[in-house]
Amino acid sequence: MTHIWAQAALWLGLALIATLLSIWLKVTTALSEIIVGTIAQLIIGAALGGVLLAGDASWLKFLAGAGAIVLTFLAGAELDPAVFRRKWKEASAIGVVGFVAPFLGCAALARWLMGWSHDASWLAGVAMSTTSVAVVYAVMLEFGLNATEYGKVVLAACFVNDLATVLALGFLFAPFSMKTLVFIAVSIVVFIVLPWVTPRFFRRFGNRPSELEAKFLMLCLFAMGALAAWAGSEAVLPAYLIGMVLAGTVGKDHVLLRRLRTLTFGLLTPFYFIRAGSLVSIPALIAAPAAMLVMLIGKMVTKIIGVYPMTQVYRQPPREARYTTLLMSTGLTFGTISALFGLSHGVINQAQYSALVAAVVLSAVVPTLIANAFFLPHHLLDGESQQPKGPSPVGGEGEALARRAP
Amino acid sequence: MIRKILLGYDGSASSDRAYEFAADLSKRFGAELHVLAVARPPEFGDDVETRASIEHSRRHYDRALAALKGRAASEGMTAQFALAVGHPAEQLVRYAEQHGIDHIVVGHRGHTRFDRWLIGSVARQVIAYAHCAVTVVRRNGS
Repeated sequence: MTHIWAQAALWLGLALIATLLSIWLKVTTALSEIIVGTIAQLIIGAALGGVLLAGDASWLKFLAGAGAIVLTFLAGAELDPAVFRRKWKEASAIGVVGFVAPFLGCAALARWLMGWSHDASWLAGVAMSTTSVAVVYAVMLEFGLNATEYGKVVLAACFVNDLATVLALGFLFAPFSMKTLVFIAVSIVVFIVLPWVTPRFFRRFGNRPSELEAKFLMLCLFAMGALAAWAGSEAVLPAYLIGMVLAGTVGKDHVLLRRLRTLTFGLLTPFYFIRAGSLVSIPALIAAPAAMLVMLIGKMVTKIIGVYPMTQVYRQPPREARYTTLLMSTGLTFGTISALFGLSHGVINQAQYSALVAAVVLSAVVPTLIANAFFLPHHLLDGESQQPKGPSPVGGEGEALARRAP
Repeated sequence: MIRKILLGYDGSASSDRAYEFAADLSKRFGAELHVLAVARPPEFGDDVETRASIEHSRRHYDRALAALKGRAASEGMTAQFALAVGHPAEQLVRYAEQHGIDHIVVGHRGHTRFDRWLIGSVARQVIAYAHCAVTVVRRNGS
């Protein structure tokens, strides 16, 4: 056990360093954890050998995997079902295009420009097809677009985009067999029953110090994850879908979500993101940086080609439309999950994994830098601000630019 | 003539000093006082964490504004309080444009050199982009 405690202490020490860096640099902890994991592997691996930081211990894999599952569930639970029901046609159109353009574009670049294998190219397409709902949500809040029809459609479209990514990851590399059919059939039943059972179960037995809610949700996530893995699929697929079907019930319980986030960010995701970073090979990246750059540029260009025309259908001002579209190129969580899936299933090698994760990390940084450099706050100077004038609107989820304080 | 004053407020000691200055200015000119707090998301975001960060910031600034509202009421001040999400300088300038503000008051937090290099000072950015007069209230003795 001494070795396990020492290793756990080392990893949590790295997580603490990453958190301090994220506070200092004002970036998300996930981003700094990946980078700290990469650098720590390089330094500790060179100084003390790779064993100390080895991310292949079963307990560590479990914590990292659980982190990915619960994080994916929380991402799905952020869906606004009411908006989605009203706008599903438009959202599906933008979301599918937002997925297909980078998926096919980056897969084609990987296959024909970089000569990757058939499966590795598809995986590159999946990893690059993601978007970050929350980043787009933050931008919508900044522009006051979240309360507009356009904002709601784009936010719902981001969910469709990520759903398509998760479905592609879950089924593209899975052998289609009887197990797949069993997995699909059980999933359908679970997804129908859960939204009915969960709120009633929580009302009857929940809201106690024993944290029944967290245990119940993790039981569902792990059980469906086990079924997905048994069918050769990926555990995050049912996790995201469970999040989506429970968005209207569990997703509205902010206290419960905060408790789950405490568990996730405090213990689980540091292991996931640091592990994802520690598997990146800096020497491989330095030896062949082209793959990383091709993937990054390919993702941004294909996202813009795919999504920008749709924003013009909604007659969005060009600056805001370009800003939103650029930020749809971000997507750290599902990008790293896809790449890690590829590496652990032997679909890609470590050099390809390194290129994909580096491109995913850069995709969280570069579009934001470009957007801030070219679109903020310059639009205020040239009189193109498109905000409606008038008093501050009301708060809550439908909050626009600013709201009255209590 | 100053008719509408906007105070950028973040609950820090320097923004409390800025409030005192803005309240005094408001009384002297009989000007309307607006107070804006800005919840800033992480610069480079990711899914769940960005949402959590925004929610956390909102709760923090809701509490800070509620406290300031109580203080203003006890001092007989009337003011409009608002909370926005985004880049603080951008949101302050945007709010000022939308509400016809003719004087912005912000505190100065004395960032480190690294902070200034990385993100720049909010006060400096407001000065650079605001369409109206801006007062930066420095802490006593600095």
